[in-house]
Amino acid sequence: MRRIRGIGAVAFVGIAAIALAGCQQGSANSGGTDGDVVTLQFQSLSDQPATQAAISEIVDAWNAEHDDVQVKIIQAGWDGTYDKLITQFSGGTAPDIIHFEASSIVSFAADGYLADLTDLIDPDLKSDISDGIWESVTHDGQIVAYPSTLQSYMAFANADLLAEAGVEVPTGDTMTWEQLQQIAKATTTADHYGLGWGLGSPTATIMSLSLGFDGGYFDGEGDDVTVEVGDDELAVPERIHEMAYTDRSIDPTSLTQSGSDVLPSFYGGKVALTVQGSFQAANIAADAPEGLNWVALPPLEGSAGAVQAANPQTYSVNIDSEHVDESAEFLNFFMDGENLAKIAYADALIPSSGAARTQVAELAGDDAAWQQVLASGEGLEGPPFLKVSKYTEWKDTIATPAFQQYLADQIDRDELAAQLTDGWADVAG
Amino acid sequence: MTAKRPLYATVLMYLALASYLIFLGFPLLWLLSASFKSTRELNSLAVNLIPQQWDFGNYIAALERQNLITAAGNSMLVSIVTMIVAVLLSMPMAYALARLKGRLRAAGTVWILVSQVFPTILIIIPLFLVLRSLQLNDTLFGLILVYVTFTMPFTLWMLQGYVAAIPPELEEAAEMDGAGRFTILRTVILPLLVPGLVATAMFTFVSAWNEFFLALVLIQSPELYTLPIALRSFLGAEGQTQLGPLAAGAILATIPSLIIFGILQKKLTGGMLAGAVKG
Repeated sequence: MRRIRGIGAVAFVGIAAIALAGCQQGSANSGGTDGDVVTLQFQSLSDQPATQAAISEIVDAWNAEHDDVQVKIIQAGWDGTYDKLITQFSGGTAPDIIHFEASSIVSFAADGYLADLTDLIDPDLKSDISDGIWESVTHDGQIVAYPSTLQSYMAFANADLLAEAGVEVPTGDTMTWEQLQQIAKATTTADHYGLGWGLGSPTATIMSLSLGFDGGYFDGEGDDVTVEVGDDELAVPERIHEMAYTDRSIDPTSLTQSGSDVLPSFYGGKVALTVQGSFQAANIAADAPEGLNWVALPPLEGSAGAVQAANPQTYSVNIDSEHVDESAEFLNFFMDGENLAKIAYADALIPSSGAARTQVAELAGDDAAWQQVLASGEGLEGPPFLKVSKYTEWKDTIATPAFQQYLADQIDRDELAAQLTDGWADVAG
Repeated sequence: MTAKRPLYATVLMYLALASYLIFLGFPLLWLLSASFKSTRELNSLAVNLIPQQWDFGNYIAALERQNLITAAGNSMLVSIVTMIVAVLLSMPMAYALARLKGRLRAAGTVWILVSQVFPTILIIIPLFLVLRSLQLNDTLFGLILVYVTFTMPFTLWMLQGYVAAIPPELEEAAEMDGAGRFTILRTVILPLLVPGLVATAMFTFVSAWNEFFLALVLIQSPELYTLPIALRSFLGAEGQTQLGPLAAGAILATIPSLIIFGILQKKLTGGMLAGAVKG
């Protein structure tokens, strides 16, 4: 009988807990209006504490000045965000303002989930951001997001290991791939490799740097797209492959790792160079062991110049938001030069607007690494893949495995080209 | 009466057990070590289990930045309620499934197996829309409902196996002694089923405790985040990981489940012994 009473008690506790849990309703279903006050839901993905603090500061400043339009930050993480947003858009519960990267919002724009901001963007801001960057957030002639900060791929070097190998640190405005290859070769010894390059997820890096050789991969927009994988597109993967398997100047293990995974090897002097996203400049400055004499090298230049893909962080407005105008008004404030500079500086990213770049240059002072980061931003252009509706699907299911196999020396150049081309035919239907 | 085990055999046995425990426990030990290391040490190539300098900043960062205590409370509530409801609902169904014969039972069995093959991603949007129409999205109640639904096929399958293992002769003997159906269930079946119930409860708890994707999609308010969602916030774009705070958060997240396991495991052992005596 005691056991039955026990089970009954457990059941009661369970039901009571359900009732209590049921009472706990979230508050972030959508932006809303409470009396005369509009509350905008702003989903931010910023993951660095300094950036989160900068964003909070900006939002607090807005809220203090605008009693009628309040902004509430919903802090979310990058992991699984795409699936979450797709579900929220389908269910009509997406936040008013959405932070994401440009390449990931293409399909949202194609599906009609994002508001047209073309006429709502502050004209001064519009003219202060290059056409190439606006191009990266334009879909069907409509601007669907505010481009905020960008990253480039940069080479960082251990100056002492370069000096040991008798190599001078490049000081020009740009650095050619041949120079990178020579330095990597010269600094490769029995104890360490010249270059460590985290290419576990290689597609974004390769496609971005391929623009430096005019390697666009895609031609067309939306669903009317053709893929081309020729010499220009394969220039970057071929160079990496050559360095890994002919020169043996790239640590082959690093090719299977993430960028962050390679940093300990760089800190520990196991590689003389590493290619990383420019944002790593801040992490290296904070985490590198004392005494590590590191430098940021000039932007990499291919046959078409020091060009890379602009795939900016963006802020879009949900087309179903009842407050599209207010959201755009907030974003105009948010993107003000001073505000954007705070965010970019905290994240070690390149701000999209000229005003913010000037501010960041002031904040950075004579920091040599920051000067190279800002210099690398000069060559950022809207890449063709940002216009392709099924790019994300092709990238995840076709391109990434194909590049991984090529970089692991499991397939040759022709097989890589065939996989990328045939795979596109399958994805595009 | 068994022969006395030689000393070397006992030593070897304990050595093997200790090796196995170290093998199993090493990841946890490494996690504990990482949680006390500074970012600089974590980024060094040195492989040392004992941190060079004990840094408690990761725990402070984990607790301050991602609201882990609230998230742990949410996870605990959701997991315990899911565990209780799923087990209570599964118990009578499992009995029926194990003891009844005929086409209905076969159909039920097939349905349980079929329901396990749908990938979550396939049904997440319809599920989200249903919960939204019930005004249950972004509520812990909605999440519990979904977890119970998702875990029940397996708990049912697991429990019916335990029921099937109890010889029907025991019920027949009790019936001959004049016991009614309810008395048989209460005094014969239930005590023998305790280990199965506990094992199933543990499985259900762990499933709910670790679940990420459904919680990510169905819960939107940061104050209702569960632990896996809060912990994933330490992973950034481009594979960046805030390793120290993540390790500290993971250690903190492990504590409640260890306590639950500690409590339930005693019941599991107790139940097993009770069953053995009766058998």
